[in-house]
Amino acid sequence: MEKNSQILAIDAGGTMTDTFIIDDQGEFVVGKAQSTPYDESIGLINSAKDALSYWDTSVETEFPKLLAGVYSGTAMLNRLVQRRGRRVGLIVNKGMEDFHRMGRAIQAYLGYSYSDRLHINTHRYDPPLVPGELTRGVTERVDLFGNVVIPLYEHEVEPAVRELLEMDVQAIVISLLHSYRYPAHERKVRDIAREMIKKSGKDIPVFASVDYYPVRKESHRTNTTIIEAYAADPSRETLKKINQRISEKGASFDLRVMASHGGTISIEANELARTLVSGPIGGVVGAKYLGELLGIPNIACSDIGGTSFDIALITQGDLSINPSPDMARLVLSLPLVAMDTVGAGAGSYVRVDPNYKSITLGPDSAGYRVGVCYPEGGVDTVTVSDCHVVLGLINPDNFLGGEVKLYPERAYKAVKEQIADPLGLSVEDAAYGVIDLLESQLRNYLESMILGKGYSPSQYVCFSYGGGGPLHTAGYTKGLGFDKVMVPAWAAGFSAFGCAAADFEYRYDKTLDINVDDGAADEIKLAAGKELLAAWEELKEKVGNEFVKNHFAMDDVDFRLYFRMQYQGQLNDLEIEAPIKDFQGVKDWDALIEAFEEVYTRVYAKAARSPELGYSITGAIVRGLVDVVKPKIPKEALSGEEPPKEAYLGKRKVYWKGEWTEVDIWEMEKLKAGNRIRAFSIIESPATTYVVPPGFETVLDEHRIFHLIEVD
Amino acid sequence: MAVRIDRKTIEELIDGTIDFYKLKELLSNFKDKDRFQTYLSILQERVPWDDPILLPAGLHLYIVQKENGDRIVKCDCGHEFCDYRDNWKLHALVYVRDTEEKMNELYPKLLAPDPEWQVIREYYCPGCASQLEVEAVAPWYPVLKDFEPDIDTFYEDWLGLPLPLGKK
Repeated sequence: MEKNSQILAIDAGGTMTDTFIIDDQGEFVVGKAQSTPYDESIGLINSAKDALSYWDTSVETEFPKLLAGVYSGTAMLNRLVQRRGRRVGLIVNKGMEDFHRMGRAIQAYLGYSYSDRLHINTHRYDPPLVPGELTRGVTERVDLFGNVVIPLYEHEVEPAVRELLEMDVQAIVISLLHSYRYPAHERKVRDIAREMIKKSGKDIPVFASVDYYPVRKESHRTNTTIIEAYAADPSRETLKKINQRISEKGASFDLRVMASHGGTISIEANELARTLVSGPIGGVVGAKYLGELLGIPNIACSDIGGTSFDIALITQGDLSINPSPDMARLVLSLPLVAMDTVGAGAGSYVRVDPNYKSITLGPDSAGYRVGVCYPEGGVDTVTVSDCHVVLGLINPDNFLGGEVKLYPERAYKAVKEQIADPLGLSVEDAAYGVIDLLESQLRNYLESMILGKGYSPSQYVCFSYGGGGPLHTAGYTKGLGFDKVMVPAWAAGFSAFGCAAADFEYRYDKTLDINVDDGAADEIKLAAGKELLAAWEELKEKVGNEFVKNHFAMDDVDFRLYFRMQYQGQLNDLEIEAPIKDFQGVKDWDALIEAFEEVYTRVYAKAARSPELGYSITGAIVRGLVDVVKPKIPKEALSGEEPPKEAYLGKRKVYWKGEWTEVDIWEMEKLKAGNRIRAFSIIESPATTYVVPPGFETVLDEHRIFHLIEVD
Repeated sequence: MAVRIDRKTIEELIDGTIDFYKLKELLSNFKDKDRFQTYLSILQERVPWDDPILLPAGLHLYIVQKENGDRIVKCDCGHEFCDYRDNWKLHALVYVRDTEEKMNELYPKLLAPDPEWQVIREYYCPGCASQLEVEAVAPWYPVLKDFEPDIDTFYEDWLGLPLPLGKK
């Protein structure tokens, strides 16, 4: 049958490049090829060839039909982590030259496990992105209200820039205190630097933080602007090359890149640093899109991969955004889809604490090297996957579609020596104990995260995906009382699906400090509204200009206005979509307050509202979206509850709660919509294994999503 | 199961030349069972005398077992201080920096402590003149023992190892 490819999603990892190609029916193929870091486009084309070979077609035939392409990759992150970026010079306030390497006094332990956070001996600062010798100070001072306390000493700028140029920097970053309140000084330094660079006959870029991230917190803002110069701008070249190579193969779309705020942006985007991390976000974006199509507003997303368990909440159709997250052990000012991560995945190491004889999981993991059962991985510590193999939950001959051969006897021996014997347990009981412990940890974690945000699992539908998710879905959702538990049949490729489903969307933030007391006079409310409106206008122009680069007109853009607000003096603000499109009068202010108090009531409690404190607007946000092609989700006619005979693969022995049990094995791809599978069953597909243990059953719906139902 | 650490890594740990990422791995993991024995055997190999080391007691210092069963503090040069329950500092050479002049040999002018409030006591080995310890204390502060280990309990209950034979 002739295929009609529509969307290409690319995930270029450190070792493998995955491509995901979707046709106009919602069907898709996944291709894999070795990554080629020196020229990523080679690995990408190979991977696409591999994918399309399943449809018996070629890159040359299908690429011209594609309507959209989305890239996500780890190249920029690697450049950053391995400190292989550009030689960047930094200009800051005189006397503040060391704040960058001091990392807000927390970068020494970012990314560490909780126990290491408490274990001060393990703390260490990574080398700063810009070393001290490439940092220069110039005198000026602006206070937090935006008043100039000391004017800019322009005569100090020239020697600073000259010295940096003499040291052969490849980019200059300028970041002054409180520049988001008073951008003129930074821009003046920027202009002097540009002028001098021009005179010197060099061609190097200059980045003023206020042109990129006009937000509070100088460590975050400076780090992010440095990353823009250090890693993001060089990565732009790579992306351009990929875009070019794809168009040589006949593609006519502009490649977009997955960004941390949950949308995709152009490779020409001003702020490219936000494409630094995108992998785990894909799944959340996919869940949001699926929720929109199916009419589910509240979703608890859970994703188990090789190394971690990631949870994110979608509430009333909106992702929550963390405006100052940390990545790669750096504090940053990027809007990142808020996610909670615990270092427990299928590849997590399992150890017995020699002092207390208790089982510990992770936080480190074997990742793609699976476990002891996979000799080529070279792992000699037991992993969660080894326990799966011992229990019979994974089919050792059909792991990743049989591409990776696992050796159960190796897993058995390792679990015996490392876990069972020290604890005085049988090998099976030890392995079962590990899985039980993992699932109860995940369950507690999931529950505490939802309760901690002021919600209850019964208000949410839980989506479970990722290669390792469906193995444990029943275990970690049991008894939590979710409204529904759903496992998409394409769980393993869900991140790539999410990338393909992401909006073409820019989001820009600006810090504000607008304080309005309770019962303030009308002119104060009006002035506040005007200031907010001016910020929105500024951001709208920035967002609009980005779309212009991809030949969209301002009128094509759907602008969505947001603001951040808190009660004066409280510590946490809330991000709220503005109920108004323009600010005309006092009633618009009241509408903002009303929207804020409604969200505040939902997140905290009605009784906690404190209007007597007055209100602070702490930020303005503009999101702009344009229409792009998105994947269709599969839809097929319902057949009966009885699964077809050809889907039945036979029986396998699984060790469960103290005894070996005969379990029915089903082939996921051959099950039909409407089929009901009863316990005890395992549903296998090449990339994932879905377990339906006693006390559960599952039904496949017309969109090829399994509903996991607790029957006891 | 803890990561198996080879002897070379422990040598680097003792010398302070260990790579930070390796050190972090050591710090964040459980200790392997024979870590202490490996550690001790490296120390033993590096000293020029044969008395078995029971515990390290500081830079250059060890608690060793003599043939007659006595447990004494000994410097790596071979100088023997005293019984391990006694305070070796009282048997060492001491240099006290208690004037501005002496302080200024170490610190830039005006950046040293006021000797009326704080003095610096330096302890040296009478055998080899190695600096063994430095303490910054109030002038009246007593010369305290650093620690008084319960060696028998440590070996028997914690390590589960036999003590080197003595005639005690």
